[in-house]
This record gives sequence, structure tokens and C-alpha cells, in this order.
Amino acid sequence: MGPIKSTVTVPVLTMEHVAKSFGGVTALVDASLSLYAGEIHALLGENGAGKSTLLKTLAGVHKADSGEISLEGKPFIQGGTRESIEQGVAVIYQEPSLFPDLTLAENVFIGRHLLKAGLVDWSEMEERSVALFERLGVTLDPQSKARGISIADQQIVEIAKALSTDARVIVMDEPTAALSSKEVERLFTVVRNLREQGSAVVFVSHRLDEVFVLCDRMTVMRDGSTVGVSMISETSEPEVVKMMVGREVSELFPKLEPQIGDVVLQVKSLSLAGQFADISFDVRAGEIFALAGLVGSGRSEIIRALFGIDLYDSGTVTLAGKLLPAGKPAVSMERGIALVPEDRRQQGLFMATSIARNVAVTMLKKLTSGFRVKRLDEESTARTWAETLQLKFASLSDPVERLSGGNQQKVVLGKWLATEPTVLIVDEPTRGIDVGTKAEVHRLLSQKAQQGMAVIMVSSELPEVLGMADRVFVMREGRHQGTLERVDATPERIITLATGGTVSV
Amino acid sequence: MKAMRSLLKARELPVFLALVLVVGLTGVANPTFLSATGARDILLGVAIVAILAIGQTFVIVMRHIDLSVGSLVGFASFLIGDLYSQGYGLWGGLAAALGVGVLVGGVNGFLVAYLKLPSLVVTLGALYVVRGIFNDYAFGRTITAAMVPPEVAWIGLNRIGGIPVLFLMGLVLVVVSGFIMRRVRSARDLYAIGSNPAAAELAGIPVARRVFTAFVINGAIAGLAGAVMLGRFNAANANSGLAIELVVIAACVVGGVTIAGGSGSVWGAFLGAILLQGITRAIGALGIPQFWQQAFNGGLIILAIAFDKYLSTRVKTTTIMGSDDG
Repeated sequence: MGPIKSTVTVPVLTMEHVAKSFGGVTALVDASLSLYAGEIHALLGENGAGKSTLLKTLAGVHKADSGEISLEGKPFIQGGTRESIEQGVAVIYQEPSLFPDLTLAENVFIGRHLLKAGLVDWSEMEERSVALFERLGVTLDPQSKARGISIADQQIVEIAKALSTDARVIVMDEPTAALSSKEVERLFTVVRNLREQGSAVVFVSHRLDEVFVLCDRMTVMRDGSTVGVSMISETSEPEVVKMMVGREVSELFPKLEPQIGDVVLQVKSLSLAGQFADISFDVRAGEIFALAGLVGSGRSEIIRALFGIDLYDSGTVTLAGKLLPAGKPAVSMERGIALVPEDRRQQGLFMATSIARNVAVTMLKKLTSGFRVKRLDEESTARTWAETLQLKFASLSDPVERLSGGNQQKVVLGKWLATEPTVLIVDEPTRGIDVGTKAEVHRLLSQKAQQGMAVIMVSSELPEVLGMADRVFVMREGRHQGTLERVDATPERIITLATGGTVSV
Repeated sequence: MKAMRSLLKARELPVFLALVLVVGLTGVANPTFLSATGARDILLGVAIVAILAIGQTFVIVMRHIDLSVGSLVGFASFLIGDLYSQGYGLWGGLAAALGVGVLVGGVNGFLVAYLKLPSLVVTLGALYVVRGIFNDYAFGRTITAAMVPPEVAWIGLNRIGGIPVLFLMGLVLVVVSGFIMRRVRSARDLYAIGSNPAAAELAGIPVARRVFTAFVINGAIAGLAGAVMLGRFNAANANSGLAIELVVIAACVVGGVTIAGGSGSVWGAFLGAILLQGITRAIGALGIPQFWQQAFNGGLIILAIAFDKYLSTRVKTTTIMGSDDG
């Protein structure tokens, strides 16, 4: 296996004492990373630890202020993205970076089109792409446009692109964040193949369980510096978390003793053709109710329908004993339901608008006199919430896009909690945010539940479901597969139900 | 078989079918429309818009726009006649036209590519600046037939094999630039830039240089198209080329060069130009009030955009359904 080989060879890449600051903000203080051929290397750290900056230095997006980088024994030329690609570095970014209007073949060879007699050789590019896709174990039509292909397939195209440049260092920034478990498996197979073929793969992920399954070695960063390097086999999850946050996170899931009350929300035989069928459940005050299942099992569709964003074909939703009209999100909000959506950038926030404005937007009615928004009240309301949420920010008038992902998520949560809902619906509340903030979000949800709020949580992360939920409602392909009480919920049982099996409790 | 399939999938096909439909139906209603003179009228009228649409396509596929070409082409046509009449000859006039085109294109390109200013605003400014300078330069003068270089007059009046020379020039340009857009690497970069600008940077494409160059080429084409315009009208004044940029952009959009960048071809823009011209003529031939012509063309632009939107969403949903494993 990789790690044994790597102790006897020289590293393919070394980055030593790299520092970088932007204006007055220091992003990297003393970052180091060394990679060996034939290893899968985890780069870990909370958001803001400097992982992205370090990788972007390697990608040629940023230029380091100081430090030494060498690739295969030669000094690494920090010229730009083209230079990095030419030196054998390929970066697969978290945000998809394909060209939707171009064919898959052209996407693979973009900027490096294969030429014959000085002209673009389409058939050669298509043949080579097919060969690369085959090597990665997928069948994709090289002539079809990239628009609309799944995120999993987009990553395959990106990896094919990396292979076509004969990249020796392949960086994957959170590749699994948006994949279903089946797609994650396929990706892992591909990554292991890359290792066999002698590539050095850098794997960035917030899911430690994946890191422990896949990776050989790891580098941990905190506050712009490398704080630890270790073999995966010689460490453990708690140890890694401790290194990442620099303190003991004794409770990642600070679950408080629930005070379960009366039924507040009742869903009866809800159906929507092609999405979900015959869904019934009750949610009680003070309860955290989790909807679990694979991506695409209809969880998000149900909450969208019950909140009123989408219509449903049949069934009823009752809130506090009164029927809730279908397709009227404004009524749902007024009656005390809040929905924190999955995609915070697109659906949850006004990215270019100030933090204060974002928090206060759900309370405009209270903060308005006549046609005027009372700016001072807006400011003070936002400040109260920023403190409750332990938000890290420079100024409340800063645009939200300047906050880290975790802090953005806190703003979304804050603006909905500020409406004092009786039912709070959260869709993937901690996706893509760091461990420390995750724990804070969990603490907040737990607190609110204990104070009597009913929380409906959609989550793809099993530890989160197991750690937080009082009851787990498991779905598969739009249908209810079974409900597990907190004491009965185990990873095995949830997965069995989610993949179509049955369990006896 | 494969060629057949890609032909049927081509975005240019519906434009072509619409053209056949317009010409066919009008021809049935009014047979003079299909006469040699009728067809020549369309082809002659289309040449300037078609040539300008080629340059505009380079710009629009990058998700940019160039509104300054109307002022440029008008000014260039005036310059060619004016310099010829002052004894600088044909080549002196052409050099000046090309020079102005490259200069304006270069300024536009610099502001858009390197200072990252929005092309809509930059070229709108250039539209007025160039027209202002043009008005001042022309100062009420007009270029009359006697001031037009004979070679330029010749291309406007003559035909080869029954087809107007002006149209053939446009056709040759489309063939050449169509080939370039498909087979030259740096031209492919323009599509990538328009399709996903951020990803283009990450892929190592020299985005700023490409954007700059495309604006310069578009300016150069507009400058040289001045000769075509002068040949067509055999005259020029301070209003030459007024508002033609809008017809050019309409031709691109109708021909499937999407304003959001990343897709479309010079062939599409060319067909779009012919279709718009065909409709203009058809409305005349059918005796429909001229007022309807503009409304009709406007409707066609909106239809084209709706069609592109429909196409892109259709592609999306089919593949998502196809790959969903939930």
C-alpha cells in the first residue's frame, strides 16, 4: 500500500513555511504540506484554517508571500493557473468549474485542445475522452454538453481532465459534499485507482469518517499553520478533532434532555406524483424530528411541500389543530413555521447585503414604521442575534458573503429563529461547515427544542441524525420505510431502512 | 448518420426552417418575391448586417456586447469616401477606416478586459463618443457618388454568377470565420470564457488577452465593413449606420448566439441576418403596413430567447432524471 512505499521515497511535492496575507488579513502563517507519489493525503482543518488558500497557492491562483515550494525536486514556479497545470498540478474545486455550453470532450481538453496541423482535432479529443472515462469506470457521451450532468459526473469529467494533463498531484476540495452514498463509493474507487497509478491525491473533507476510510496520511491545519502530520492508522477521530479545533470538543452533539409536549404539526397522507407518496407523521413540541434517507429520497421535497413552496396532490398538513393551506409559504410563516433551506447561498441569504439586513429581513413588519425601516432597531436586533449565535464578524454592515460558510449558516438560522417559530424546519443545517461551528449550531437547535420549539431536521449525515434526533423517520424513493425512536436508532438500522431493507426493533 | 444527427440537433436548423417558411409562404402569396430581383434585394440588404454580425458573434459568445459598431461602420464609410475625394486614394481611406476600428475596438477591449468595466456601458459610451466625433468631422457634409472610390462602387453594383458581390463577400467571411470558430484553439477559448468566466481563469485561459483581442477584431471588422456600406449606398452622411448595431445584435440572437454567452455560431448569426431581412422584405411584398415589420422582428427576438431558455432547461431536466439514483 501507499504509506509503506512513501517512507522510502522522496516526496513529489513539498510546501514549507508558506505564508500569505491579503491586505491586512493573514490567511497563512506557517503552512507546510508534503506529498508522496501513490498516497491519498487528507488535508484537514476548520473553515478559515487556511486549507483553501494553501491549495490555491498550489493551483496558481494566489502567490505565496514567502516559503518554499518544490515539485519533484525542482522549485515550483508560481506564475498562474496555466503554469501550475503545466507543472502537473490539477485541482478539482468544490464549486463546479465545467463549461456548461461545451461538450464533455472539450471540457476535458479545455485550454489544451489537441491539435492536428495547428487545428483543433475533435475526433481525437472525443476518442481520448472516451478512453479516460472508461478508465474511470463510467460511460459518458463525449459529444453531449456538460449542462445538467450530475455533480458526480462533473467530478468524473474533472478527474478525466486531471488525468489528461498527466497530473502528478491531484487536489480534490470537498468532492463528496454533494454526493449520494452510492456516488461516494464510485468516487472512492476512482481515487484508489489514481493512487495505484502513482498519483499523489490531496483529499479535503469535513466528513472525518470518509477520511478514515479512504486516506493514508493527513495534515491538519489551524489558524493558517500546519499543526500536525500523521499516518491515518496511527490516529483517531477524537484526536484529529482536537488538533483541528485546538481544544477538546467533548460534545459535538450537545443533546439536551427533551421536554416533549403536544403534537403541533400533523402531516396526513401527503402525496406528490413522482416525488413522494402517502407520507404521514406528527411532530411534537420540544422534539427534534429527523427525516433521513439517501439523497433523492424525497426528504427535501416533503418539507418544501408542507411549508408551501411546492404544491402537493393530496393529503393535509395541520398546524396547532388548524388546517394549513397548500402552496402558501407566507401563511406558513405567519402561522409560525420557519424553513432554513439547504442551499444557503442561493435560497437563504442576500449575499451582497449587510449582515444586519439579512438577519432583520424576516422581521421587517416589526421594524417598519410607515414605509421606513427603522435602521437603529434593525441594527440592535441584529446585534442581539449576533451575540446569541456567537457570530464572528468585523462589522454588522459587512456583506454576508464576507463571512465564512459556518457563520453564514448561523446568520440564516438567526434570521429564522428571530421570528420565534413554533416549528423550525432545517435542511442540511451543517453541510460544509466546520466542526466548531457545527457544534454551536447543534447546541442552538437543542436549546430551542428544549424551550419548546418543534424541530424538523433533514440531514444526510448519520452522526448528526443519531446525535440530535428524538425520532428518525426513514425514507426511500419517496416512501416511508420506518420510524426509529432515539434509543433504537443505530447507523445500521437507518441504512438498512434507507436502502430498502426491514428491521425489527 | 452521425452528421445527420448533429445537423438535426443544431440550433441553426429552426432558423433555417423559419427562413424557408417565410420565403416560401410569401412566394406563394406574391410570386415576384421569389424572382431573381426579389432574392437579390434580400441578399444585398443583408450583407452589411451579416458581416457585422460575424464580429459581434465573437463578442457575444464571451458574454459581452459591442454597441459601438453602428457608429464605427458609419464613420468608416464616410472616411473612405472623404479621404478618397481628398486624394488619399482607396488604400488611404481603407487604412484610416481600419485604424479607427482597431483604435475604438482597442479602447473598448482595454476597458472591458483589463479594467473589468461592463461592456454594455463601455460600448454604449463609445457609441456616443464615436458618433459625436463623426458628426463634428462630417459637419453637415455628405459623401456623394462622385466621391466613392470606383472599386468600392463596383462591389456594390456588380454580381458574380447572378449573386451580388457584397453578399459573396459576406459569405466568404462567414465560411472563413465559421471555420476559425470551430477549429482554432484561441477562438474556442472565447466560448469557454462566455460559458463560465471563473472556470476559464482556473483552466489557465488568458481571459483578459482573449477578450481584448476579440474587441479589437470586432472593431477592425466594423471599420472594414465601412467599405461595404459605402459600396451598398454609394453615399454617406453623419447618420450613416445609425442604430444598425441593434439589427446586428437582433440577427445574432435570432440566429442562436445566446446573449448569456458560450454558444452560437457565425452561421447562426448569418442565417439570423437573412431571416430578419427576409421578413422585412416579405412584409413589404405582402402589402402589410411597415409598422408591423418592426413589431414582428421584435417578437422574433423574444421568441428566440424563449426558445433558447426552453432548450437549456430541457437538456437539464432530462439528464437529471437520467442520473438520479435516489
